[in-house]
Amino acid sequence: MPTRQRLKELMISELMLDMAADEIGDDTPLFGPAGIGLDSVDALQLVVMIEKHFGFKMADQDQAKRILQSVNTIAEAVDQKAAA
Amino acid sequence: MSRSILITGANGALGLAIAEFFLTREEGCRVFLGVRERRERAQELAARFPERAALITLEITSPDAWKTALAEIESVAGPVGVLINNAGFHEDALLANMAQDQWSRVLDANLNAVFHGCQAVLPGMMRERQGRIVNISSLSAISSPAGQTNYAAAKAGVIGLTQSLAKESARMGITVNAVLPGYIEGGLPTDWTPEHLKALKMQLPMRRFARPAEIAAAVFFLASPDASYITGSTLKIDGGIL
Repeated sequence: MPTRQRLKELMISELMLDMAADEIGDDTPLFGPAGIGLDSVDALQLVVMIEKHFGFKMADQDQAKRILQSVNTIAEAVDQKAAA
Repeated sequence: MSRSILITGANGALGLAIAEFFLTREEGCRVFLGVRERRERAQELAARFPERAALITLEITSPDAWKTALAEIESVAGPVGVLINNAGFHEDALLANMAQDQWSRVLDANLNAVFHGCQAVLPGMMRERQGRIVNISSLSAISSPAGQTNYAAAKAGVIGLTQSLAKESARMGITVNAVLPGYIEGGLPTDWTPEHLKALKMQLPMRRFARPAEIAAAVFFLASPDASYITGSTLKIDGGIL
């Protein structure tokens, strides 16, 4: 399964989002009122989820902030790490 | 389901009762009895369940000690699925006469230690997306007796920590609750005279202290899969005192 689709499905199940995968745009902001509206607890869960399912460990909070912008930014980081 | 259960203060009356509840009622679980210097009674209990109970040395006020203990448990039984923060003690004095040390020791053991314990088990519980934390607070947290400013503040802090952490971990399948026991048989200061105990019982609605198993039953339930929608709750078990 493509990384973006897998990420969306994992986000829906692990963050208990009441929406379908195709409702999450690749570039939709994950946080804030203009986007999906995730909060700091979701951010922590995303970090754990990405490490658990993709083996990608965030180095620090700054990196997490940069990567956890959208499905696209996460997928790019995860795919880059897999290719390395 | 074979869960690893860690109980701090496991040499005391309530810790032992909680451990025994798990060992006799939850098939296959592994129980780790957190102890410090005093360990005779925990050793006796572990000897009755040699395959499923083990002592673990744990200085609850030290974050490093938590890390070491958790690593030891994980290596033999997987991540801790249930943490019962039960250890604690009080050192009563009127605030006007209370030494700084008396304040700090009680806050360290009763509140800071709960923080260290929760922080130590959370990563494993988050990875597993399940977990149960039960914090043993005290009736003193809400009755605030004179002479217990340190203990009442610490135990009230445990309630705040419990409720806040419950919100942080709810979506991860982790529940966090607090139990507030009143007087417990075997858990009362040893220097209280029989006359004092008798007079105290006369003032209680049930005219008796709680049996440790009566508190353990509630802890066991809160840690069970049946309590999956209970989180951030405080359950007072005091025989109707308040």
